[in-house]
Amino acid sequence: MRCSIISRAAEAAALAALLALASPVARADSIALKAPRAFGYVIGDTLTLEAVITLDPGAQIDPASLPQPRKVSSWLNLVATELTPDAAGHLRLSLTYQTFFSPLEPRTLEIPAWPLTIRQGDARRTLTVPAFAFVTTPLRELVASQGGNPMALQPDIAPRPFPLGGEWRRAGLAAAMAGFGAFGFALASGWRPFARHPRPFAAAARALRRQGDPGTPEAYRAALLSLHRGFDATSGRRLLAEDIGAFVRQSPRFAERESDIARLFAASRTAFFGAGAELAMVQLPPAEVVAIAARLARTEARDRGPAAAPALEEAAS
Amino acid sequence: MDVIASSDATLADWRDAALTFEREVGKVVLGQERVIRLLTIAVFARGHVLLEGDVGVGKTTLLKAMARAIGGAYARVEGTIDLMPTDLVYDARIADDGRPRIDPGPLLKQGGDLSIFFFNEINRARPQVHALLLRLMAEGTVSAFGREVHFPHLQVFADRNRIEREETFELPAAARDRFFMEVQVTTPADREARRALIFDPRFHDTDRLVGAVREGLFDHQRLADIARLIQERIHASPAISDYTIALWDAVRAPHKAGITLPDVRMDRLVQGGASPRGLSFLVRAARVRAWLEGRDMIVPEDLRAVFPEVMAHRIFFDPVYEMRRDALAGALCRAAFETVPAP
Repeated sequence: MRCSIISRAAEAAALAALLALASPVARADSIALKAPRAFGYVIGDTLTLEAVITLDPGAQIDPASLPQPRKVSSWLNLVATELTPDAAGHLRLSLTYQTFFSPLEPRTLEIPAWPLTIRQGDARRTLTVPAFAFVTTPLRELVASQGGNPMALQPDIAPRPFPLGGEWRRAGLAAAMAGFGAFGFALASGWRPFARHPRPFAAAARALRRQGDPGTPEAYRAALLSLHRGFDATSGRRLLAEDIGAFVRQSPRFAERESDIARLFAASRTAFFGAGAELAMVQLPPAEVVAIAARLARTEARDRGPAAAPALEEAAS
Repeated sequence: MDVIASSDATLADWRDAALTFEREVGKVVLGQERVIRLLTIAVFARGHVLLEGDVGVGKTTLLKAMARAIGGAYARVEGTIDLMPTDLVYDARIADDGRPRIDPGPLLKQGGDLSIFFFNEINRARPQVHALLLRLMAEGTVSAFGREVHFPHLQVFADRNRIEREETFELPAAARDRFFMEVQVTTPADREARRALIFDPRFHDTDRLVGAVREGLFDHQRLADIARLIQERIHASPAISDYTIALWDAVRAPHKAGITLPDVRMDRLVQGGASPRGLSFLVRAARVRAWLEGRDMIVPEDLRAVFPEVMAHRIFFDPVYEMRRDALAGALCRAAFETVPAP
């Protein structure tokens, strides 16, 4: 029991010694204000004060006592605060103020002091960020020394040049792609400069040449049919015998072939609707059909009309 | 051989008569060559015709002239909203002796010899009257006084006012299908013809005008035989029958034939119609046209010449397009002939 009393007394003595050691250190909290120049400010300028705070070991700034961005007074705003530890173990409190004071003549203004609460265990004490005074000056003369309205709006600041090289390149690429696409579309649709001039009679004549002499009734009919499709493609509709006059008026270059065309249609009537191909072959011999096809192809090739008739698709084959 | 030769000669004689008939009617009715040609085709195909057109373009004059040139009896009835079938058949009146009497009406007055029956403004008459007319057209008979009266030589011409739609009864599809042709009669386009129609006093008195037509150019009682002979003698090749069927398909399903019309959804345009009866009428008309042109075979031009008149009224459009029928039907027929390959 006695033993325990002794040990308690020893504990108390050790604590007292520790307190005696610690208390001079506790009073060593310090704050140093690093301020910018104290003059030459105008309305709208910002000032950044930096307070370098050195605390006792174990002491902390009460976060609730740190200033927050706010309207400090009618002419002063606290726009930003930042608390950062630095490498030397100090704390750096950065306070950015903006002044909205518009003086008529140079005048000293004061940013008020700000008390910080320091906590160390249960103990609290105050450490004050000192006030800072600066001189603010008017933006313009009180009485205009030159003509003109001093209140007139000044011209806008010219915009900064923006680098457009990349955009130009991309726009050029897009334009090139659009042009290429339009070219391809025009080509595929057969628009004016790219309009294909279908030559249906040339195709028919070629087919007849490949086929050889249409001596059989079937071949004779096939030969007539391919020529009929040629007439259809050239006139843009199905051409019947009664339309020959209209066809020649529509495509005057075939006027010289009108008698050939009439003979061809007469034979075709006999072959398809009348007595049959055998009689038609007497009326218009097969060799003559081939010759007429060749003549029509020549007429077709000689003079391209101003506008090619809308071609029927099957005629090309 | 002898029979064929003689029938060929008969057909040639009748063709001359038909062309004379066209010329005679053409003297009276100016600028309507196409209508006269179509009506001549109808006469020699023994088909009934529905005339449609503006007021005062000469429909009645045309029919009177035709009736006079054909010969035989002619009767005419005005369609009204209160006209009843019995008004056509009977003539009920108070006789001189003050007693009611029932006599044969306009249809029966001439007996079975009636050659042309002209029904004016058919769409003003009621459906009951349409039904009577339907039977008259299809069978050539009417029941009256407890017996059947036959009209072996009868050809019905009806006329429809297309401008007024109030107090009218539209003809049912079945009735329209019975008509061989529906012919549009318009004001002549030819400037000289119009000038003559207005200023030449010859055209002011229609009775005297019609009186100038030579009467009875041919024996109307033989028309049916000649019509039959034409149908037998004019030849239709396999190629033309293929072509006709391709045309039929193109009209029934224009989107499949690749026909396009501006502002029309082609897969919805045609709802139905273009009946087999219509097609048989088409070939009948084409044969007569070939005969009139002096050919012994049908060619695609014959079909094209009669197609709109014979077929257009048998094609039934989606209701959305029905109001634009006149323009669309013509365009569809034209497009079919421009699309279907011939031969």
